[in-house]
This record gives sequence, C-alpha cells and structure tokens, in this order.
Amino acid sequence: MPEQIIFKREEDMPYLPITFGSMAWNKTGTWRYLRPKFENKISPCIEGCPAGQDIEGAMVLIGKGKILQAWDLFKEENPFPAVCGRVCFHPCESSCNRGEFDEAVSINALERFMADMASRHGRKPLGKREKRKEKAAIVGSGPAGLTCAYHLARLGYGVTVFEALPVLGGMLRVGIPEYRLPKKVLEEEIDQILELGVKAEVNVRLGKDFLMNDLKEYQAIFLAMGNHQSKSLGIPGEDTQGIMSGLEFLKNVNLGKAVALGKRVAVIGGGNTAIDAARSVLRLGSKPFILYRRTREEMPAFLGEILEAEEEGIEISYLVSPVRVIAENGKVSRLECLKNRLGPADEDGRRRPVEIKGSNFFLEVDQVIAAIGEEADLSPLPKKLGLKENAVLTDERGATRQKGVFAGGDIIQQPRTVVHAIGSGKRAAIFIDCFLKKKKWEGLFEAIRIGEQGTLSMKRYLQAENERASLSSKTVRLKDLNLDYFDYKKRKKMPKTQVAKRVGSFEEVNQGYAEETAVAEAKRCFNCGVCNLCDNCYIYCPDVAILKQGEDGPNVIDYDHCKGCGICVEECPRDAMVMEEERR
Amino acid sequence: MYERRELMYAGHQACAGCGATMSMRYALKALGEKTILVIPACCWSVLAGPFPYSALQVPVIHTAFETGASTASGIKAGLEMRGDTETTVAAWVGDGGTFDIGIQALSGAAERNDDIMYFCYDNEAYMNTGIQRSSATPFGTWTTTTPANHPKGQPKKNMMEIMAAHRIPYAATCTVAFPEDMMRKISKAKAIRGTRFIHIYSPCPTGWKAPSSLSVKIARLAVHTKIFPLYEVEGGERYNINVDPKNLPVDEYLRLQGRFAHLTDDEVHTTQETVDREWERLVKKALD
Ligand SMILES: Cc1cc2nc3c(=O)[nH]c(=O)nc-3n(C[C@H](O)[C@H](O)[C@H](O)COP(=O)(O)OP(=O)(O)OC[C@H]3O[C@@H](n4cnc5c(N)ncnc54)[C@H](O)[C@@H]3O)c2cc1C
Ligand SMILES: Cc1ncc(C[n+]2csc(CCOP(=O)(O)OP(=O)(O)O)c2C)c(N)n1
Ligand code: SF4
Ligand code: SF4
Ligand SMILES: [Mg+2]
Repeated sequence: MPEQIIFKREEDMPYLPITFGSMAWNKTGTWRYLRPKFENKISPCIEGCPAGQDIEGAMVLIGKGKILQAWDLFKEENPFPAVCGRVCFHPCESSCNRGEFDEAVSINALERFMADMASRHGRKPLGKREKRKEKAAIVGSGPAGLTCAYHLARLGYGVTVFEALPVLGGMLRVGIPEYRLPKKVLEEEIDQILELGVKAEVNVRLGKDFLMNDLKEYQAIFLAMGNHQSKSLGIPGEDTQGIMSGLEFLKNVNLGKAVALGKRVAVIGGGNTAIDAARSVLRLGSKPFILYRRTREEMPAFLGEILEAEEEGIEISYLVSPVRVIAENGKVSRLECLKNRLGPADEDGRRRPVEIKGSNFFLEVDQVIAAIGEEADLSPLPKKLGLKENAVLTDERGATRQKGVFAGGDIIQQPRTVVHAIGSGKRAAIFIDCFLKKKKWEGLFEAIRIGEQGTLSMKRYLQAENERASLSSKTVRLKDLNLDYFDYKKRKKMPKTQVAKRVGSFEEVNQGYAEETAVAEAKRCFNCGVCNLCDNCYIYCPDVAILKQGEDGPNVIDYDHCKGCGICVEECPRDAMVMEEERR
Repeated sequence: MYERRELMYAGHQACAGCGATMSMRYALKALGEKTILVIPACCWSVLAGPFPYSALQVPVIHTAFETGASTASGIKAGLEMRGDTETTVAAWVGDGGTFDIGIQALSGAAERNDDIMYFCYDNEAYMNTGIQRSSATPFGTWTTTTPANHPKGQPKKNMMEIMAAHRIPYAATCTVAFPEDMMRKISKAKAIRGTRFIHIYSPCPTGWKAPSSLSVKIARLAVHTKIFPLYEVEGGERYNINVDPKNLPVDEYLRLQGRFAHLTDDEVHTTQETVDREWERLVKKALD
C-alpha cells in the first residue's frame, strides 16, 4: 500500500500541483459502521429433498455443461439418481422458489438427464474410504436397504444384504412397472452398489430362513423390509378365483411370469399400486377400469401418474365401493358395488366416503385386482425393538430400542416414498458409523442438517469439522431474492412416447431431455442463497472493494476500503450476502 | 468490458453508495488509459483526492466551475498541435456545471463541434456545496434552497433536447443500474469525432436522503418509471430508446427518497402526468 507522501523541503514541491501517488493509503474502511459479508444460505429445494442432494450446486454445473460432475454431487448423497429421476414425486420442485415466480425448475427431469448421461459415459461413483473391520447386516433390498448398504460400504464397512425375493431392489424391482422404471436402469445402479463390495444373499427371509439371533457376527443391523402384505377387501366372495392383490399382480408381471387376466379387469383402489396395476393391465391387452371409493381430490396416487393413466384412456369411477364378489362356475363373473357420497374429513384430513343405501349396481368382470393398500409384516421382529401400529419405532437417528439395530423405509413412521426410504437409509448409515466408532452424535445434527425438514448431508458428514463451511440456518424464500434480475421463462417439458405406442408395450413413457434443453432448463435456476459468481457485487461496488480471484472465485471483500454502503447486499440477486453491524 | 483494467482506485473520498463514482468507474473502463479528464468544481473535484494524490489513473485537470467544456476544447486543440489525435479529451462535470453555469461553454463547444466528449454526471443539485437546487433538480424536490414547505416549483430542464438542437453527432443518456448499456454507449461515442454528450443519472444518497444501499435500485426505478429514459440521439435527430421501461408508477421511485417525502398525492399525480407526457414526446421522436 503506497504511503502518504511528505515533502520535506520547498525544493521537493513540484512547480505545478501534479499527482505523485494513488489514494489507496486512504483506508475508507474506517468510515464503515455496517459490514457486508458473503454468506451462503439454504436453497429450499435441497431442504425439500429427503435424500439431501445438492440440487443448487448441480444446476450450476449442468448450466456450464459439466453434467458428469453434477451427477457426482448427487451420487455423493444418493445411489439412485437414475431411479429417482424417473419415479420420485419430487418434493424438491414443490419447494422450488421459482414455482412461486413462474414454474418450478424441472429438477426431477434434470436428475434423470444427468444419470442417463453418466450411464452413457460408464461413470462410477467414488469408491470407498479406509477399510474397517466391523460388519453390518441389512434386511431387505429396497431403496432404504440398498442406500444404507451403499453408504456403509463407502465408509469402509463390510455389508451383507439379506433379501427374501430372488431379485434385489424391493418395490423398485417388483412393484414399479417397466414402463416407468426400466429394469436395465435399476440394475445398473444396483450393480454400482455391489461393485463397492456389498454382498447380497437372495431367497432368504428373516423369520423363515434365519432369525435376528443368527446375525450375531454383525455389529450393526438395518431393518428395511418395506410393506409387502396387501390389505384384504373384507367382502364376501373375496377368495374366489380371479381375484388377486395389486402387489401380487405387479410382482408377477415384473418377474416375467405369465398372468391370465381375461377381458374386463376391475382395479380397486386409488394409490400408486392401483394406477400401476391398471396401466400394466392395459399393456397386457386387457381392458382395465379403476374403482375408487372417494373422489380424485382424495386419491393418494401421484397426480402425474393419474394424468398419464387418463391420457391412456383408463376409465376411473369415483365414489364406488365393491361390496360382494359374485362367482359363476367357481370363477368371478360380477362385482356388486355401492355408490358413496363424501362425508366429514378423516384424521388425515381427507373426506370420508359414506355409502348411499340402495344404490347397489353390478359390473361384469373377468378379473378383480384389489390394490387398497399394503402393510408391513413385522412378525419376524422381537417386540423389544419397539413396535407400534404396524411400524417399527425409531428415534431421530433411525435407531430402534435395541442397541445397534436401526430401521428405515416403509416399515418406520414416515411417508411411504422412494426418496424418504433413501433418506432414511442414508441417515442410518451415518448413525451406524457413529455407533460403531463410538462417536458422540448429539450436536452432529446441527452440523450436517440442511434446513428444518430432517434432510442430512453426507458430504458435510464426511468433511472434517474444520473444513465444513459454516452453514446458515436460514432457508431462502422468494421474498429474499432480488427479482429485478430474473425474467419469466417457461419450464421445459420432457418428451413422451405417443399414447398409441404406449398402450401396446412396456416401453418407457417419459423420454429424457436433449442436452441443449437440459442446459437451458438448469439455467432457469435462481441459485437461491448460494453465490454463483454473477459478479453483481463486483460490478456495482462504488469503492472497487470487491476483489475477484480468477474464474472460480470466491470474490473477497477489501475491508480496508469498503465503506459499508450495502449496495452489494441489496443487489445480490440470490441473498448470498448479509449486512452485519461492525464490531469495534 | 467489466474485466478491463480498473482506472479508478479505492480510497477515493466519495460518500458511501455514491453513484458518481460508479459512473466514473464504468466510464473509464470504456474510455481506456489514453484519456485526459477535465474536472471543474463539483463533488468529483474532491473525490479524486487532494494534491499530491489521485484516485484516478488517468491525467486530470481541475478547472473553474464554468469552464468544463472550454478547457476540454483547449486541451484538444493543444494535443492536435502536437499531432496527438488518439487521446480522448473528456470533460467530467456535475449538473450545476452543465445545466447552469457551464452551459455557455458547452454550447460554444457544441456549436463548433469541437472533438471532445462531455460527461454530465447528474445528481440533480449542487451537492459539493451542500445540496442547493440546480436547473436539473426535478419538480417538487427538497433541497437546502428549496425547503420542504417551499419545494422546487419548476420541472427539470431537458438538457438532452438542448444538446440535440445543436445537431451534435451523438448524445446519450445512461445510468449506473445499466452498466453494460452505459459502457456500450461510451465506447460507441469514443469512436465518433466531434462533440459527444453523455448524460449520466447518478444517485446521491446524501443529497437525496436515501439509504446508501439503494443507489442502484433507485437508478433502476428511474428508468422503469420512465422518469429517466435510456436513449441515444444521433446527429441531433435520430432517436433510439435502449431499454423498455416496465412502466411502474412514479410513486415507487419517489417514496424511497427523503427529498420527496413531503409530496402530496396531488403533487405525485402532477409528476406522473409530466413523466407520461414527456415519455410520449420521446416515443414520438423515436418512431419518426
Ligand atoms: C406399485 C407401487 C408403486 C410405487 N410407486 C412409487 C413411486 O412412483 N414413487 C415413490 O416415491 N414411491 C412409490 N412407491 C412407494 C415406494 O416403492 C416405497 O415407499 C419404497 O420402495 C420403500 O422402500 P423400502 O426400502 O422401505 O421397502 P421395499 O422397496 O418394499 O423393499 C423391501 C424389501 O425387503 C424385502 N423383505 C421383506 N420382508 C423380508 C424379510 N422378512 N426378510 C428378508 N427380506 C424381506 C422385500 O422383499 C423387499 O425386497 C410405490 C409403491 C408401490 C407398491
Ligand atoms: C464560480 C463558482 N461559483 C461557485 C463555486 C462553488 N461551487 C463549487 S462546486 C459547486 C456545486 C457544483 O454542483 P454540481 O456541478 O451539480 O456538482 P456536484 O457537486 O453536485 O457533483 C459550487 C456551487 C465555484 N467553485 N465557482
Ligand atoms: S430456483 Fe434453483 S436453487 Fe432455487 S429452489 Fe429452485 S432449484 Fe433450488
Ligand atoms: S454528495 Fe452525493 S455525489 Fe457527492 S460524493 Fe456524496 S454521494 Fe457522491
Ligand atoms: Mg450536482
């Protein structure tokens, strides 16, 4: 920094007043009473993703064409981006600030795009860290079990997965049909988990082929058996030939077994299983129709699925309940039904169906598929784990009451979705690691939690305490953004296979983005709360006090000269800066 | 253009949030090193720093209040005598020095079409001497010479039309909220010969009684309320509007600034009407 210039003698003075030095010695930073600071905050999409994927970070990378690096970020948290990119109900998008502005960023389609690109390039997830001697057993190979296996293997543990069915993947493999999630896509992501050294034993059922006590050689156990017992209709004639549960039907189709259906197939229920069953029936050449006891408003299936079913011409009758199965020659021939009206709301807030007396009518059917819900079979588990209302009780770590036994996915009390299952698998891996290393876990939540909805970051967990960037507890909302910097832009749609082609085959319905479309869509992201080096602070600083450090930043503040005017904070489009009172 | 060398350094003496310094920074990025600045009495005489220092990395000549344009004309003539046709000579003058006391020198230079650039950074009053009204101060404004119970009764003088009437090759308006637009216009003007006039709307948090953090926001609102449209005039007659205003009500702009706090609804209404009328006139010229 140039010093102040002092003329000692008259002869040193120039003839005319001319400049000898800059003003840099003038530390105008001393005028400041407010201090700007860069401070990244929480993007609502990441908080909204139960798998805790760094969505905002990935959007920046995709926008720059660095698709594979974006995939690496996702894969750090979740072994299943290709699966989620197809079947997740994307709560991230419901939290996206852009949704309130025009339309949410198409995060789910971009997740799929990244994963498909990684697959084409044969990209693999990062391998394991130091090898550890402890071993963990995982019961159930659905998304919860396999996610836990993936993270534990990467943490260096020996992992064995025990699966009752002959195939791995749980509902992803035997529930969700091929036209939504091709087996090839699922298998590739499962193979990547096995390549980390995870062992899998199939055709072994806890409670039948082995007991909890047989797992003594494992220092930790993760239970994730999902909900595989179908609820029964509870109406007369239910065990007639020609009546099948939705899950059994989908399992058979997904395992490639022949299923004889007949022409007219009644599918009963309004959840994902019902819709998947009906759409599979259609693809097998029969005519499905759905009977649901409430209205479309109350249907638990994802809206996108309902819309696609309607597109394919599947008829859905609302406010209808079956009351009796009528057989002819030992086989179902007619279904007696009643009409309902909506009554007052249930505990879950959905309006309850009330039967209308005397409204009975009959439907001709060749087959009935009952898809009115699934529940867990907890009979192989000891009571002392803590069981309640068909669920395993867990604490905030996912631990049961038995030391070293954790649980996750559909058998614990949480929403029954793939991404919640994945989140619970990751959480269990983190706290199994703490348990095995006898690490204190109280206080850890504050350091690795992203926002208030229970989302955890594996990346932050793996960082040493001193390399973890301090994380603001503030989630950025639309009102925090400077909207002068954003223009309305329509969300890009994913192409779909034509309905005519869909009906006759199990070909995938959604076709991914082209690269150009993906890059443009990722650029719609506001990058809420995270500096993306847009350089507004640098551009507008009246005191040239924001300094750039090469292409990848970060920008830094020259506090010797910053006067604290606050323009940078005001003009930051994404709330990645804050103003603090100057401590003197 | 942003990545060009900084020719304005930190350590200058401006108030926090000063729009005049942002204007200078962008202008110098666009003009480059081969520039001589002429600065008559105004805030910038002080901001650059006292002898023997300067926050500007180009030669600066400080001169008397009314002589911005004439000093620039003289320096240009001197350079030409020495065979230097390359160096840009730019007068950098406040609104008082342009709209009021310096208008005679400026009109003279424009009439001769002297080969100079003339920048008026307009903070809508005599700020350096303590916020006295100038003919650039808008209708209804509080200043120390037009107190709130007797605010300015006349509208802002339209300096751009006066300059266009001289049929100079280039005149343009710009402001700190649109730095790319500003740098593009200054670069374009730099390549033209003759008198070029650049009118820069430069928020002054101190004189406008506004939070220092809002300087850019206020400038952006000035454009989107049509109070300060961004346009250029070539040859004194070809008008071209550069930024489509969002057509926001003037109140959104006025209410951020203490200098307008006393305005009655009627006065806000009058301002809106004047702004709409002026905008229509401008659009008509742009369509011609
Ligand atoms: C038809 C259908 C469609 C769905 N569609 C979607 C969707 O589009 N999006 C979404 O987010 N969610 C969807 N879901 C819900 C989602 O599939 C589940 O929430 C998720 O799979 C739960 O994961 P999990 O790992 O807990 O259990 P599961 O995926 O059910 O896996 C549990 C595994 O444990 C095995 N197992 C069970 N008992 C034992 C035992 N005793 N011993 C050994 N192994 C055992 C099972 O065979 C199974 O492989 C759907 C569900 C169904 C049924
Ligand atoms: C002939 C003369 N009269 C008055 C002054 C005092 N004076 C110095 S700067 C200034 C005001 C300048 O106003 P403006 O040109 O708008 O520039 P600003 O200070 O607002 O940037 C005045 C009145 C002077 N220097 N010379
Ligand atoms: S705009 Fe981007 S960062 Fe913001 S919530 Fe949506 S996806 Fe996340
Ligand atoms: S008085 Fe206004 S124009 Fe002058 S230095 Fe301060 S903020 Fe800038
Ligand atoms: Mg002035």
